[in-house]
Amino acid sequence: MKLAVEVKGLRKTFVSGWLRKRRTEALKGLDLNVPEGGFWGILGPNGAGKTTLLCILANLLTPEEGEVKILGMEVRTHAMELCQRINLSSGHANFLWSLTVRENLKYYAMLYGLPGKRRKKKIEELLHLFDLGGFAGVRFDELSTGTKQKLSLAKALLNEPELLLLDEPTVGLDPDVAHRIRELIQQLHRERGTTILMTTHNMKEAETLCEQVAFIKEGTIKAFGRPKDLKRDLRLGDTIMIAFQGSLPASTLEGMTGIYGFQASDSTCRILVDDLRERLPQILDLFIGQKVFIHDLRIQESDLEDVFMAYSR
Amino acid sequence: MKMSSWLIADELIKTRAFVFKNWVMTKRNIFTIFEILFWPVVGFLSVGLLTEFAGLQPQMRAFLLVGVVSMSTIQVCQLDVAYVLLYDVWSKAVKHGFIAPVGVRHLLLGSLIVGMARGAAVFFILMGASYYFFDFDFMAVGTGPMILFLLGLFLCAATVGILVCILVLIFGNRADVAAWSLVSLMLLVCGIYYPITILPRWVTPLSEIIPLTYFLDYFRHFYGFKPTFSHVLAKGFILVFVYLFLEIILMKAALRKAKKTGLLLKLSE
Repeated sequence: MKLAVEVKGLRKTFVSGWLRKRRTEALKGLDLNVPEGGFWGILGPNGAGKTTLLCILANLLTPEEGEVKILGMEVRTHAMELCQRINLSSGHANFLWSLTVRENLKYYAMLYGLPGKRRKKKIEELLHLFDLGGFAGVRFDELSTGTKQKLSLAKALLNEPELLLLDEPTVGLDPDVAHRIRELIQQLHRERGTTILMTTHNMKEAETLCEQVAFIKEGTIKAFGRPKDLKRDLRLGDTIMIAFQGSLPASTLEGMTGIYGFQASDSTCRILVDDLRERLPQILDLFIGQKVFIHDLRIQESDLEDVFMAYSR
Repeated sequence: MKMSSWLIADELIKTRAFVFKNWVMTKRNIFTIFEILFWPVVGFLSVGLLTEFAGLQPQMRAFLLVGVVSMSTIQVCQLDVAYVLLYDVWSKAVKHGFIAPVGVRHLLLGSLIVGMARGAAVFFILMGASYYFFDFDFMAVGTGPMILFLLGLFLCAATVGILVCILVLIFGNRADVAAWSLVSLMLLVCGIYYPITILPRWVTPLSEIIPLTYFLDYFRHFYGFKPTFSHVLAKGFILVFVYLFLEIILMKAALRKAKKTGLLLKLSE
C-alpha cells in the first residue's frame, strides 16, 4: 500500500513571550500513516494539535523533530515539488479582500504556474463546480461566509492536488451550505481519487465523510481506525430498549455474542450490543421464538461524538 | 530545450502573478492617488516654493529639487515591494501564498516591476512639474545618466521594501509602520536636502553605506556639484547589489524562522 502521508515522531513546540518565555508543546511524537486515495479525519479537542499537524504537512510550519514524508518525499528537502502537488483549504477563509472571486483564482492559479489557456479553463471549471459563476466579479470582502468557503475549496483545487488538506472546511457555515460543501468534498474524493486529510469538530461530518479517523489529544494520536471499529474498541455499542410481555429469555440473551450489557425489569429491558444491524435481527428472532410479545422498541445508536467524549476525558 | 523553455515560462507566470496582484490592489486602493499624486506633488511644490521664497540660485534649487524628486520616487517604489507581503498580511491570507510553489525571487521581482512603474510615474510627473513651475530641466543631463540614476533609485527602493518584508516576517504586522518610516531615516543621512559634508563626523560613515548617497552625488554632479566621493556610480551599484543579495538571503532566513516560530500562521489569523 502506497502512503500519501507518513509522519513519524513528530514534535512541535511553540515558544511565546519575550522575557518570560512560555513553551507550549503542540505535538509530542506523533505518528500517522495515510494511504494514497484515503479520506481521513483528524479529530480532537481544541488545542489538541490538529491544525498544527496540517500546517506542518503543508510546509507552513517546521517541526523540531520527526520525519514527514508526503507522496514519498521528505517535506523539508522537496518543499517546492510538494507545494505543486498538495493544497490546503481552511475554514474562516481569507483571501485578498479587494480582488474579485475570479481575480483571486487567477492570482493563485498563476502562483501554481498555470499557463493562460489552461488557467482560464480551470477557473471556469471551478467556478461552475462550486456554483461561483454568479459571484465571479464580486470582491472577496463582499462575499458571504459560505461563498468565501467555496472559493477556498476552489482555490485548493487549482493545481489538482494529489493530497488535499482541509482544516475545518464547514466551520461557521449554515447547515444547508455546510451540507453542500460536504457533498462537493465527497464528490471530489469519489471522482478524482484525491487523498484527503480533514480536521473537523463536527462528528457527524467525520462519520459521514471519513473512511478512517484519528483522535488527537495533547499532541499524540490516541486512537485511529474506522468509526465503527472505534466504537467497538471502546465498547460503546448501540442500545436496544424493548418493552415486552412474557417471560424474558435472559440467560440466552446474556450468552449471545456481541452483547456488552443487559438490564431488565418485569416489562422492559435495555440491551447494549456491539453492532445494531447485526444483533437486532438475532434478538428479535429470539423474542419471537420464545413467544415474548414486544410492545415497544427503541434504538439509540452511539456515534463518533461518544467516541470523541470517551477519548477527550 | 523544451524543459528550459517550460521553466522560463513557469518563472514568468509566477512573477506575473505578483505583478497582477499588486497592480489590481493598486487600482482598487483609494490611497494610490495620494501616493502617486497628492503627497509627492505637495512635497515637491512645498520645497520648490521654498526655494523661490529663499531666492536660491538655480544651482541650489537644482540640488533641492533633485533631492525631493528622488525621495518621492523611492518612497512610492519601495511601497510596492513592501505591499507584496503587507497586502497578504492585511487580508490575513499569508499562508495561501506561501504554500504555493513560489520563491522569494518571484515575489520581489513581480512587486518591483509594479513599483518601478509607479515610481517612474511619480518621477516623470515631478520632472514635468519641475520644468513647468521652476524652470528646471531634469533631461539636461541626457538620457543615459537619467536612466542610470532612475535605475539606482529603483534598486535603492527595492532594498528598503525588502527590509520592510524582512521586518514583517520577524516581528509580525507591527512592523508594517516601517513601510512608511524607513525612507524618512534615509532622508536624514544621505543628503536629500543638504550635502552630507555638513553632517556631524560620526554620521558620515552611515551616509557612506547608503547607496542613495552615491546616486544623488552622481546626478548632482551634472549640475555643477563636485562629487564628495570618487567612482560614485560604481560604488552605488556595488553597494546596492550587495545589499539586495544579502537581503534575499536574510528574507529566506526570516521566512524559515517564521515557519519555525509559527509567525507565518499568526499572520493569517
